[in-house]
Amino acid sequence: MKKATAIAIFVAALGLPSCRPPSLPVAVPPQDKHAPFNHVGRKGMVVAAHPLAAQAGLDMLKAGGNAVDAAVATAFTLNAVEPFASGIGGGGFMLIYLADEKKLTAINFREKAPAAAAPAMFSDKGDKQDEWRTVLGTAVGVPGMLAGWNYALEKYGTKRLAEAAERAVKIAESGFPVSLTFSTINKDEYEKLLKNAGETTCYLNGGVPFETGDIFKNLELAATLRLVGTKGIREFYRGEIAKKIVAAVRAKDGIMALEDLAAYKPEEVLPLEGRYKDFTIYAVPPPAAGGLHIIQLLNIIEKWPIREWGLNSTAYIHHLSEAMRFIFADREHYLGDPDFVRIPLRELLSLDYAKRVREQISPNKTAAAYPFSPFEAAEEEKENTTHVCVIDQAGNIVSLTQSINDFFGTGIVPEGTGFLLNDHMDDFSIDPRSPNAPNPSRRPVSSMGPLIIFKNGRPLLALGSPGGMRIFPSLTQIVLNIVDFGMSLDEAIESPRFFSYSADGRPRPISVESRIPEATRKALEALGHKISLKEDYDKYFGGAQGLMILGNQKIIYGGADSRRDGAGAGY
Amino acid sequence: MRTSGIRFFLLSFLILSAPLVRLFSAQEAKALFEQPALITSAGQSADGMQALVLAKKAELKADLIKMASAKDLENHKSLVLVLGASMKGLGAAGLDTNKEKERIAGLLAESKKRNIPVLCLHIGGESRRGQLSDEMITDYLPSAGMAIVVKSGDKDGLFTKICKAKNIPLVEVERILDVVGPLKAAFNR
Repeated sequence: MKKATAIAIFVAALGLPSCRPPSLPVAVPPQDKHAPFNHVGRKGMVVAAHPLAAQAGLDMLKAGGNAVDAAVATAFTLNAVEPFASGIGGGGFMLIYLADEKKLTAINFREKAPAAAAPAMFSDKGDKQDEWRTVLGTAVGVPGMLAGWNYALEKYGTKRLAEAAERAVKIAESGFPVSLTFSTINKDEYEKLLKNAGETTCYLNGGVPFETGDIFKNLELAATLRLVGTKGIREFYRGEIAKKIVAAVRAKDGIMALEDLAAYKPEEVLPLEGRYKDFTIYAVPPPAAGGLHIIQLLNIIEKWPIREWGLNSTAYIHHLSEAMRFIFADREHYLGDPDFVRIPLRELLSLDYAKRVREQISPNKTAAAYPFSPFEAAEEEKENTTHVCVIDQAGNIVSLTQSINDFFGTGIVPEGTGFLLNDHMDDFSIDPRSPNAPNPSRRPVSSMGPLIIFKNGRPLLALGSPGGMRIFPSLTQIVLNIVDFGMSLDEAIESPRFFSYSADGRPRPISVESRIPEATRKALEALGHKISLKEDYDKYFGGAQGLMILGNQKIIYGGADSRRDGAGAGY
Repeated sequence: MRTSGIRFFLLSFLILSAPLVRLFSAQEAKALFEQPALITSAGQSADGMQALVLAKKAELKADLIKMASAKDLENHKSLVLVLGASMKGLGAAGLDTNKEKERIAGLLAESKKRNIPVLCLHIGGESRRGQLSDEMITDYLPSAGMAIVVKSGDKDGLFTKICKAKNIPLVEVERILDVVGPLKAAFNR
């Protein structure tokens, strides 16, 4: 059975209300999974990277939970159904809008470096540093996921941790059919899993990867989640699970200690704010860099005639790619953990900065170099992911991005626990002099960028995506598709994407989905760009999820990316 | 009720016996290959490592050499070429497409010179198809003495077409683990 058909039958069986906007209601998504399709709700909506996760969130809403309860239930379920992208061995960022108070807040539960981390811990490994950064125990940051979810539930939710975990436990026990996405990623990461998790791990099927349609169960994860639900997160950070995490990390030459886990705390922070045309953008601040870069990029773009140039025209891709490269130069130079490093946020978000970048971009050729912007010296002073959006009946919104970094993280599974440990230490810079060098208890800079966008004082869009460094370019393109090119939400998500960056002041190729026409690609090459061709719908560019709230919440559209297994569930 | 029961039985028999029919014909075929085998991936996908695990399950003497070159054939009597490209794998190996194609072409030329038979495996299913993988399948499969393919990778009949045209024995199996049987049967003990 084709996957699209299977999903269609699944969704039909659930009786999810859905339609193809603006006015043609249909019962099921189209056969072609890439055809734009907006889920529709009137009271609440959940969009996530797997239909079972979206459904778990919706059921939580229907059971009286609010948006935070539903987001955490969805997040738990993603650990069971999309374990390669996120889970309790990782971390993330949650942006929350509280409708009654008209207040936005953000929770940072990014992983931290262990206390024994040092700036040269990777650079001194020579040509083996990739291994130390991604698959050995040194790659594992202190997980923040459970602490973050628990903080959100206790402060803004109405349900207990055990209730939020309930669906995930059931699915992990009963299993579910593996999708083509799961199977493909499982095959790609096979060597890592074989090496670190072993031939008998639940993440392999008899020692080989799972194939489409195979049933994936994870009884050990179910037991772990049940234990955490019963005993609380103390079990994870100070109890038996903590001991297993440290043992697994140290067995692979890692440096994490029990004290690192015991000391972990999430932080609640004020969101960043920016403007683009008539829209106000709220985002999680650094170390989540995605939101900052989206605002920077939109500031630069605002004075360009992008509608005249046309969507994905040569001029459009050229100018945006050049702007991305300048932003990456500043990211490389300035960004680190704001608890330890002064980041010139005000300067980077200023319109003067945007103007200076615009002035360095020629319409006819690529720049000779991409230097960082010369602000006052940023002196040191004390200072591979999934996305979920939820709105509840009261209008509360959660935009949540979470990750274990590379697919299947390090591939290390603490004995008997069923969850994968992240490799987010890889997000630190290799350069020991970088503001983002590994240091004790610091958080590495992340590309994550959960957003909530307002118009006329009302929430209009909630949006986010996985995709590493592609996150902010992808989200910016989705925003432009909606605001400047008038697309519906899912049309904007499915539209072709491109991405470029700079490193050490030198340009990298523009990666483009192959739906960008050959003539455009050749014209970009004539301007001096190198092109890296990707698939038609390539998960390299992330898997965005979004909500569009219209008519004072009279109608809610949900868009979920077909580059992975995105799905929505509304009522 | 009874009719539908019989129908169900027949349908189940047909579905379950399909891979066995293929497997049986493969086991009946004369073993073409000698041990030890050199395993390498054409396209640097992780399927090469899967092939090694499957070879171990088939109790074969085999070595996986990711960047195998002509001289690696010296100590081996068969070449197992695991078809299917991975851009991630190529990047990790520091190879571009042309360099990888040069490596495989050199390996095949040497195997021909030394009369070392080639067994092509495609175990990645539909997710291990695509432009580069298809180019490699088209270029290298004709050199094979036999091919074992997980069926979902041959939905469009590419393997069937090439094997038929070149008179190459083709064994199709339903699942990755089903490769073990025909792989074992293909080698002399």
